[in-house]
Amino acid sequence: MITSEYQLSGTAVLQVNEVSKAFQYASPGSQRHVVLNRISIDVKDGEFVTIVGASGCGKSTLLNIIAGLESPDSGSILVKGERKVSTDRDRIVIFQEGALFPWLTVLENIEFGLKLAGSSKEKRRQAAGRFLNMVQLSRFANSYMYQLSGGMKQRVAIARALAIDPDILLMDEPFAALDVQTRDLLHNQLLQIHEATKKTILFVTHNMNEALSLGDRVVVLSPRTGGIKKEFAIGLPRPRDVESPEMTVIKRQILKELEEDFQFARRETRTETIQ
Amino acid sequence: MLEEKHVQKQSSNRSFDISDAANIALFLAAFVGIWQLVFLLEIWPAYLLPSPAIVVGTIGDLTENSSLPIGIGITMARLGASFAISLGIGVGVGLAMVKFRGFGKTMSSFAVGLLTFPSIAWVPFSIVFFGFNDFAIFFVVVIASVFSVMISTYSSIRNIPPIYLRSARNMGANGFALFRHVMIPAATPSLILGIRQAWSFAWHALIGAEMFIATLYGLGHILNVGREFNRMDDVIATMITIFVIGVIFDRIIFRKIEERVRSRWGLDQHSE
Repeated sequence: MITSEYQLSGTAVLQVNEVSKAFQYASPGSQRHVVLNRISIDVKDGEFVTIVGASGCGKSTLLNIIAGLESPDSGSILVKGERKVSTDRDRIVIFQEGALFPWLTVLENIEFGLKLAGSSKEKRRQAAGRFLNMVQLSRFANSYMYQLSGGMKQRVAIARALAIDPDILLMDEPFAALDVQTRDLLHNQLLQIHEATKKTILFVTHNMNEALSLGDRVVVLSPRTGGIKKEFAIGLPRPRDVESPEMTVIKRQILKELEEDFQFARRETRTETIQ
Repeated sequence: MLEEKHVQKQSSNRSFDISDAANIALFLAAFVGIWQLVFLLEIWPAYLLPSPAIVVGTIGDLTENSSLPIGIGITMARLGASFAISLGIGVGVGLAMVKFRGFGKTMSSFAVGLLTFPSIAWVPFSIVFFGFNDFAIFFVVVIASVFSVMISTYSSIRNIPPIYLRSARNMGANGFALFRHVMIPAATPSLILGIRQAWSFAWHALIGAEMFIATLYGLGHILNVGREFNRMDDVIATMITIFVIGVIFDRIIFRKIEERVRSRWGLDQHSE
């Protein structure tokens, strides 16, 4: 019956309902630190949503909760109308770095999820080959991780996630450790993949230009309140020029929203060091 | 793609080069030369310090009357059997230590304490308990090496980068699949170091045990008989054999495995 509700509403493949999370600092007598405060986001099927916020605003925590790797203090996660409390192959996380397995080749890494699902060797090879081709790394099928550059590793990570065929890709600052040129290349590649596969993508970043050039919608989180500060729908066609006048307008707005929070974050750091 | 040019080529040909071999040959020549010189000075009678040539002859004799090959065979069989037991128990208990935290904590401090305990000090206990037989030898070897395997299993698994486990769980790995496909391979590089150390403990303990726990065969037995009959050439010939076996295992077999694992895991890449 929950499923039928989903079918009725029809659109949101992922629903984040009033999710809250607080952490208790280890030192005695300290307050609970609320990182997420009643966050609600609905993500439509095939939508590309970026979540942007200053460090410490709980973006990664939110993503982990959505993935089922952490549990919220309250609130719920619904995928296609079904409540989710643990990890599942319908939501695959692409981590910032270091999540690929060094003991496997590129191809074996991509096959990993399929192997767990028990699909035949032939089928695995075929699917892995297809996604390896999609990220343009076919020549490196038999390489090991140490032989790849940071950008190539992230492309393998994307192929590995796609091979599992999830409904939603959860990307946790996947390009944060890369240089600017490589990041631009990967942005284009990711957009092409999004275009080709129509996967729903939730992409967390602290980089505003990245959030603006990728997302259909940009959600700004606030570390001060732990809530959603504002959402911006970006209707501009891709690839986008982040320096264009339209983008600059939106950028200014977001910056204004973030400004108070940066000041807040600075104060926080100061009080922490005094303690 | 632009960045693909960054791919690092690894020099795979580093196994054994000429200068290494020359160094070893030089060292051996110097060692044998000094030995021969001391022999020629006749400070000690020949039955106390035989010449290199005599010892080589003895190795030949011992090989011909097959006491050395049988000794090596028996000793290696004992090592294989007891080290297998040690690996089984060590890995098993190590995994239990990971699974049950309280047990792991207690057991690891206990095991670390026993690591420093001289294995030869178990010999009297073992003789009284098992008698003069192979089981007594097995016991000493197992107890000498099992704690090293245990601790290494425990720490190797606990030190697996959590991100491997998170991403594997995210992709649907649970229970045995997580263990088999992620935890074991992720722990392998550090596990190999531990096993290498455990092997060396086992090897030390085995020769000691063979000397004290009198049985009819084994390298330790030949050493002991050599001492009783004042056959110094037998003693030195056996010592050389023990040395060579140790070198073959540690420097060649374990090192090769370790190098292969380290290079595949990318642990030898200092750049980047």
